[in-house]
Amino acid sequence: MLEIYDQVQEACAFIRQQWNHNPHAGIILGTGLGSLVEQIEVEAMIDYDQIPHFPRSTVISHRGRLVCGKLCGLPVMVMEGRFHMYEGYPLKKITLPVRVMKHMGAQLLVVSNACGGMNPYFKSGDIMLIEDHINLLGDNPLIGINDDRLGPRFPDMSEPYDLHLVDKALELARKNDIVAHKGVFVAVSGPNLETRAEYRFLRAIGSDAVGMSTVPEVIVAVHSGMRVIGFSVITDMCLPDALEAADVAKIIATAKGAEPKLRTLVSGIMDYERARLGKA
Amino acid sequence: MMKDRVAEACRKIRQERMLFPEVAIILGSGLGGLADAIEHPTKIPYSQIPYFPVTSAQGHAGNLVLGFLAGVPVVAMQGRIHRYEGFSPDEVCFPLRCMHQLGAQTLIVSNASGGLNPRYISGDLVVIDQHINFLGQPSRPDYVDVTLSRNGEIYHRGLIERAHDHARRNGFALHQGTYLATLGPTYETRSEYRFFRKTGADVVGMSTVPEVLCAAEMGMRILAFSIVTNVALPDHSTSTNHLEVISWSEIAAPKLRHVVTGLLQELAGPAD
Repeated sequence: MLEIYDQVQEACAFIRQQWNHNPHAGIILGTGLGSLVEQIEVEAMIDYDQIPHFPRSTVISHRGRLVCGKLCGLPVMVMEGRFHMYEGYPLKKITLPVRVMKHMGAQLLVVSNACGGMNPYFKSGDIMLIEDHINLLGDNPLIGINDDRLGPRFPDMSEPYDLHLVDKALELARKNDIVAHKGVFVAVSGPNLETRAEYRFLRAIGSDAVGMSTVPEVIVAVHSGMRVIGFSVITDMCLPDALEAADVAKIIATAKGAEPKLRTLVSGIMDYERARLGKA
Repeated sequence: MMKDRVAEACRKIRQERMLFPEVAIILGSGLGGLADAIEHPTKIPYSQIPYFPVTSAQGHAGNLVLGFLAGVPVVAMQGRIHRYEGFSPDEVCFPLRCMHQLGAQTLIVSNASGGLNPRYISGDLVVIDQHINFLGQPSRPDYVDVTLSRNGEIYHRGLIERAHDHARRNGFALHQGTYLATLGPTYETRSEYRFFRKTGADVVGMSTVPEVLCAAEMGMRILAFSIVTNVALPDHSTSTNHLEVISWSEIAAPKLRHVVTGLLQELAGPAD
């Protein structure tokens, strides 16, 4: 963990050469959700492989670049394409971009993912606001000697997601006639999808949706003292007693279909943040 | 070779203090005070013992203490090694192997934990009955002394019963429960607390299981205690901080001291 601080400094110094602003929020876009970028007044686009210490995204349907600019009048840094544990990267490497966002000035992390719905009241294409999570990755990005410059040794996790923002997002969804739920997200390492028995287990332990990302980034955001809001797009329903074979093309199509909803909610949250900051 | 490294570390320890301990003691967050009760102590900083990992956690001092507790020769780890510090199971268990090599046949281990059982309150003492290993990554040391048999109980039934006797005599409640070990270092989310409670765990913490698995493989008698330093109330969210954990464990430390010294006094008497 002790090498991370210097790596963050170097990555930030490089980014500042191309975009010297303090972002209000860092945004991470998940599978098939990249088109949110179209709404951004782009000021700089930097490929991950140019940024010192950044890993490279290896997944199709994930681009690999950092987009800097303005969303709803607020400066933002957007990760178009993210990193996953199943790509073989250590979690502290996957989460380095979150630390970079924080060091650039971001106070808020907006994170999105495509995931499987296990709560039978959900439907494919619905949005779930993440209210809480269960870490079943079998790993933690904070393993190692703690660097107190980055955050506390034992971060409290009683409210990792800003519940006030969750309520705001649900309110925005109602106003815009979007079906949105709140629920518990469970992270597994993947890359295989779950067996029916695993879905029953995951549902039984109290989760509503399952995915292979997000929790490492959220743990690091909480460690660095950021507020977090997380959006899950339910891209397929994982009901163990009526399970259909997963079709990745269909999952990506569902994610794309849900993009307008996610755009509405994310920009609504950014409008709210701008008003809150009195920069209207 | 693990055996050679253990031998080298033990040579150094014996140079500092020639003692054949009967009991090995590992003390958790805020419980280092029990090590101060050791009479005629020799304190050896971990950094002076070959191959000993050096701790980083707040509230963990980092000394091997040899001396007498209630008349029994003991060796105690004041400050323990955790998986969340990035140490492998073999590194976490290295000091324990040395304590066993020095002569200890019994392990007494304690930790600070979060209470999941709604009957527990902060400051309560729990004797560990069983554990659930939720460390995720390999939690068993690679280097194995003997094959662990499934016949026996890991936690020594007779010692558990005697711990209850001492608690009763000293007038406080001793719970008996299941300890669930997570990797940490994050405290649990509310959803994780609910999940762990459903699996049957009474307390949750970030230690103990690697050492206990290693001690069981070496055939040691094991007695483990957990001090409840915060109560997990998933439906009434409260935050947890490390200072609170340390102060509750200091408040509960006298209970642990009563039970441990009581047991040791028995050990100092006729052998069973």
